[in-house]
Amino acid sequence: MKVTVKHWHAVAQWRWDTGAAEPEGGDADNEDVCGICRVPYEGCCPSCKIPGDDCPLIWGECTHVFHMHCLLKWIGTPASKQQCPMDRRTWVTAERKIGNS
Amino acid sequence: MASAALRSQVAAKWQEGFARLNRTEPGISGLISFSQAWNIAADYLHPRDITDPLSAKAHGTADMALVKAAFDMINRSRRLPVMLETFLDSICNQYYLIARDIHRYLAQYEQSADIGVMFRLIYRLVDWYRAWAPIEELGPTIRAAYTLTFQTQLFSILPPGFVRGFKALCVSTLVPVVQISPFIWDAFETLGLTDRYEGLIASVGYERIEAYVHETCTAKWDEPCLERLRHWMSTQIVPWMLPMYAKGALNTEEARGMLQNVGSRFDFHMNKTLCDLRTSEIFDIIIDFPDSMGALYDLKECLQRVDQRSSLVQALRKANRKRLLHPGADTKLILSQYVATIKCLRIIDPPGVLLFKVADPIRRYLRERPDTIRSIVANLVGDDDSGDSLVDENEPIQPLQQLETEDYNDPNWDPEPIDAGPDFRTNKPSDVISTLVSIYDSKDLFVKELQVLLAQRLLAITDDNSEKVEKERRNIEILKIRFGEAALQVCEVMLKDMTDSKRIDGHVQSQKASIVHPTIISRHFWPSLESSDIVMPGQFQALQTEYAKEFSTFKPDKKLRWLPHLGTVHLELQLEDRTIEMDVPPLEAAFIELFSAKNVWTMDELISGVGGVDRVAALKALLTWVDLGVLKEDVENTFRLLEVQEEAAPPPRSAPAAAEEPTVTAAQQQQADQMRLYWKFIEGMLTNLGALPLDRIQTMLRFAPGYDQTVEQLAGFMEAARREGLVVGRDGTWKLNR
Repeated sequence: MKVTVKHWHAVAQWRWDTGAAEPEGGDADNEDVCGICRVPYEGCCPSCKIPGDDCPLIWGECTHVFHMHCLLKWIGTPASKQQCPMDRRTWVTAERKIGNS
Repeated sequence: MASAALRSQVAAKWQEGFARLNRTEPGISGLISFSQAWNIAADYLHPRDITDPLSAKAHGTADMALVKAAFDMINRSRRLPVMLETFLDSICNQYYLIARDIHRYLAQYEQSADIGVMFRLIYRLVDWYRAWAPIEELGPTIRAAYTLTFQTQLFSILPPGFVRGFKALCVSTLVPVVQISPFIWDAFETLGLTDRYEGLIASVGYERIEAYVHETCTAKWDEPCLERLRHWMSTQIVPWMLPMYAKGALNTEEARGMLQNVGSRFDFHMNKTLCDLRTSEIFDIIIDFPDSMGALYDLKECLQRVDQRSSLVQALRKANRKRLLHPGADTKLILSQYVATIKCLRIIDPPGVLLFKVADPIRRYLRERPDTIRSIVANLVGDDDSGDSLVDENEPIQPLQQLETEDYNDPNWDPEPIDAGPDFRTNKPSDVISTLVSIYDSKDLFVKELQVLLAQRLLAITDDNSEKVEKERRNIEILKIRFGEAALQVCEVMLKDMTDSKRIDGHVQSQKASIVHPTIISRHFWPSLESSDIVMPGQFQALQTEYAKEFSTFKPDKKLRWLPHLGTVHLELQLEDRTIEMDVPPLEAAFIELFSAKNVWTMDELISGVGGVDRVAALKALLTWVDLGVLKEDVENTFRLLEVQEEAAPPPRSAPAAAEEPTVTAAQQQQADQMRLYWKFIEGMLTNLGALPLDRIQTMLRFAPGYDQTVEQLAGFMEAARREGLVVGRDGTWKLNR
């Protein structure tokens, strides 16, 4: 017997490729959240309504990842001293090369 | 020993009496002529048997001049009262003649039930009355005394059977079967029957009205009957009433005045009858809505005259309880009846007091049904196959209205109707959807259910069906007006995912054509989809990987995670003697893919071949193929591929009746899932703090982000956890079971 697939309407979820190893089984509870707003990366920051490309992530040299809007807002405050909120190193946006490298 | 004084007194009396009778005639000639006159008069007045022709004749031939002269003389001697007394006495004595007659007629009537007999009886009685009447010259007093005596005697001897006959006679005057002389009323009047049997005659009228209303209005709801009934009253009943209630009226004006009182009584009775009728029919009237508008307008008008509002409420509540609010009724049916009730009662009673009273039990019942929300939401998005939507398309779409407190600055403000209960809330005419949504305290439940439903519908859309997505979008836009923009933000994202998927797919296909066309969803914005451990085997796996790679090239910072159990596969099977082409769910596709490698598989092999799947689901998928004649279950749990179709294809074995499992978990399930999330918190606090009472757990959980469960829900969850052996509960406290 030969099975020929003519058309496949599949369903998939997208995820940010944060470079972190994909959690096996994809448990809903231990997924990565933005360190600033505590919303999952695949959700959107508090000021956005549409997730995904409209509310992208930003990667730091320090390997921390945030919602871009969250981080920019943080950097915009004088108290931030341009530091990463997680490790207090000066924030340097990393070139995106994780994942497909 | 009479004294001289007494003696002289008696003598004076005697003299006076003699003088009166003798009237200064010489000797006793006056006395003689008086006694002659007395005899003539008494003979004339003597009540005769009119059945006896001789005596009747004697009476008829009496010399009227002589009789008049005789009466004149008696009157002059002031002996008329005595004469009258004698006359009345003799009437009483002779009355047996009439009684005999009445009995004869009634016996005849009982036998033949012929109204004509009654009719003749009445006239016979009138004949008796006329025959015995004293002459006119004696003045009205005597005549009145005579009439009274005659009637008293008559009523005292009328047997019970007469009433029945009389009623029948009255009925026949109303419904002229046989032509009855209109003078019958004069006869009634003469005999005093009208006054005596007034109630009975009126009841004849009432019964006629009732009969007519029932006959012409029952189950006729399409147009108002009231107008027609009024017309009927004025053409049928009023003329009938005229001779009785408006006797002696000289012109129509006067007659109208006389009829006013009794007429309004009859009109009231008509209203009441119609009202009762409609009240008993109200449930079916509501079912028939809007084809029963006429009946509703009737009812509205009747209720203004007749105070039957409470009985209407009672009747409707009773009918609802009996016919609607029971497990046998479909939720959708209850909802549509509820909506119809709202619309109907709003017509009958705009302030909404009736509605409030009737709706309360329905709402309470609906709140207890598990699928009420789902039904309402399904209706909102037009999921109905039947097409009769609860919502009137013409009704303007408006935001959900919150119950507002009364605005006393409103110039059109009206006080609450007097029969409004203490908890009556002014239900300003809000739209139907608002009313339905207000069954529940919060609209969040609706939004959640809406989301679930939308997810189901969107995932069911296979691509190149963008107009369906457009339709959903339109729906959501409409719903946004109702529920508010913010509440439906999530749905917006879901719709955007649909269009984005299409765009992305378009791009990916242009880079590298693939037969995979996925819908890519934003996981946090879709209701939790059932997870599954299926791993698609063989070429499917390859297709997935390939597509995912292409996707990542297009969107370098994103990855795809497949939800292999969702979607549909269109595939073609090439067997030795036939080809089969069809759409199947992914699990079915996965199994058949396995069979392309090997012809015989056992159930367990198959299940592990797709990476672990529920046994029931697996069996169902396999049976799909068995039904199609592609597989055969030779030995139990062992399936063989039929390269060559077998002669006698086994009769299609219907798959285990497991209803199409919803791919998206319902809101209830979600709630349980959510609760599971909080299990970690509970576990933590019970580990650190030992046994805790339920309230304490609830208080602490409140600190957890997004926790919105009630104590009852928590209690239910803890109970479930106890059943699973995770915790033990003792004395109202919970601790971990270890």
